[in-house]
Amino acid sequence: MQLIVDSLITNYTRAGRGKVIVLLHGWGDSLATFNDLGRELAGGFEVITLDLPGFGQTQSPKFAWTLDDYAHFVKNFLDKLGVKPDVIVGHSNGGALAIRGLSMDVLKSEKLVLLASSGVRNTKSVQRNLIKTIAKIGKISTFWMPRRHKQKLQKWLYGAVGSDMLVVPHMQETFRQTVRQDIQKDALKITVPTLLIYGDKDRATPSQSIGNKLHKLISGSQMEVIPEAGHFIHHDALGVVAKLIKDFA
Amino acid sequence: MKTIAVIFGGRSTEHDVSIVTALASIIKPLELTKQYKVEAVYVAKDGAWYWDEKLKDIDLYSSGGIQDFLHKSSPVSVQFDGGMTLVKSSGIAGRKTARKIDVVFPAMHGTYGEDGSLMGLLRMANVPFVGCDLDASVLAMDKVLAKQIVASKDIPVAKYEYLQREIFARNSSEVLRKLEKALTYPMFVKPAHLGSSIGITRVTGNQELRNAIEVASHYDEKVLIEEEISNLIEVTLPIMGNETLKPALLERPLTKPEDFFDFDTKYLQGGKGGKKGGSKGAQGYSELPAKLSDELYKKAENTGLSVYRALGCQGIARVDMLIDFKTEIVYFNEVNPLPGGLYAHNWRAAGVSNIELVQTLVRLAEERWQVVKQQNTIFSTNYLQQF
Repeated sequence: MQLIVDSLITNYTRAGRGKVIVLLHGWGDSLATFNDLGRELAGGFEVITLDLPGFGQTQSPKFAWTLDDYAHFVKNFLDKLGVKPDVIVGHSNGGALAIRGLSMDVLKSEKLVLLASSGVRNTKSVQRNLIKTIAKIGKISTFWMPRRHKQKLQKWLYGAVGSDMLVVPHMQETFRQTVRQDIQKDALKITVPTLLIYGDKDRATPSQSIGNKLHKLISGSQMEVIPEAGHFIHHDALGVVAKLIKDFA
Repeated sequence: MKTIAVIFGGRSTEHDVSIVTALASIIKPLELTKQYKVEAVYVAKDGAWYWDEKLKDIDLYSSGGIQDFLHKSSPVSVQFDGGMTLVKSSGIAGRKTARKIDVVFPAMHGTYGEDGSLMGLLRMANVPFVGCDLDASVLAMDKVLAKQIVASKDIPVAKYEYLQREIFARNSSEVLRKLEKALTYPMFVKPAHLGSSIGITRVTGNQELRNAIEVASHYDEKVLIEEEISNLIEVTLPIMGNETLKPALLERPLTKPEDFFDFDTKYLQGGKGGKKGGSKGAQGYSELPAKLSDELYKKAENTGLSVYRALGCQGIARVDMLIDFKTEIVYFNEVNPLPGGLYAHNWRAAGVSNIELVQTLVRLAEERWQVVKQQNTIFSTNYLQQF
């Protein structure tokens, strides 16, 4: 289904009946990531998923967005649907977006679930500096290359250091803006009951560093670490994640 | 050996669908006939035309390699020399390669292709082309105009209204009030000119109607709003021919009325029924032929043929109809002058192979061309000698 939100064609799904759960996907992902989880939850809840601008089948923003812009967009989307979420579930960057949106009071929800949420940026400062250095050296040393070779090399280098910079090439500037935003101060402002779920094999957002940090910052939050699950925890441990959300909601 | 240019892609929301239609349903069977030299002409999303053998490979598009290809290649020139010739620079000492085109096979769905724009260009170029001509394409691709023409021939259509984007933007509340007075929920809101179910929404209330009109008018300046037909059986009928018409089989997409085919279902998910079985073509999971009583089947088939004639279709088109199974009224819904994948799966079921289908369509194009050539559009006068 589609809606016009902030002048952008916005793709979304809406299924089930009951308390409203809104699922926010991560960077370079789309609402399709929640196909299975949404199906599990739609038995007892109204489940709403959307492609955030620049991803899936939603138009890209006309300029580089920050988490704040995304939060306002989600608010306008929900207003247009006339929906007040009972639970917001954010995966990875979708978690950072949810934290920022709730702390600014732009988004409102009774409860929050963070699935392998990102947003704690300074733990990766070494990696970020490495990326910056590669980018600078890369620009100088590859200026003579044909564009297509340069792009391939860039993609390989960024991939090698675990950066999502080139996952969605047309969103690079937005990526730079959002990864600069550390949401630790925002996490301190979260007052709604919050459940954090991480996988112990998650290398993108490790539970020991990012998960534990957010857990400490969000007052009264619960944290679950699922064994043998990676960053896409809702795929790796679908049944467990669905049950945790259902029980918590 | 005749040279056929298959033109696909284009500046349309159906760009990607067009690639699949061209490569799988047109170029491949044309080449299998071994009777034609087939040239692939790809129109990029920015409107530039490219001509290359590599453009026949689906992997180029599915892998994303097309961007690299476009970056490396120069767009083709088209020479209008009393016919149509493709000209491209080889890049070696400015050498140019030219190819005179005998027949064009348009495979561009939607805007700038199927809507008559390309047909206008081909008429000006003086080259025979497959499918509906300019006037029928224009009518077929404007859902409102098509309904008006068809209704004038006493063929039933669902109760409808239409609006211009500007008018809605200026006074949306008044427009909504008038629509709610004229029509009853549930309604369907559609961009007037787009196919493949893009921008179509079923609405059951005021807020949904407002949102749906916003979506439809994002794609099109003209928006159609029509009442839903009760007790619905949706059927579609591919037809080919110029004077003598040949219908394929009446096909029934197996969907619920509230779950009509959207773009995803038609093209991205392989059909509503997924892998449950049944016939799966561009339209997805369907009943082929539609299980209707002989009488109702014949009635729907005749309605399809009447619509084809009323709109002046030639070559090929697919007529979509809605049947109220309680009243047995067959309503015209819309006509598609370039069915996705030519609806080859349906033609196959009707006993026409992919190869026969494209061969017949090329023959029909040439036959029409002979008729067009015999028409006088110029004559000698002494008008200029007065000056």
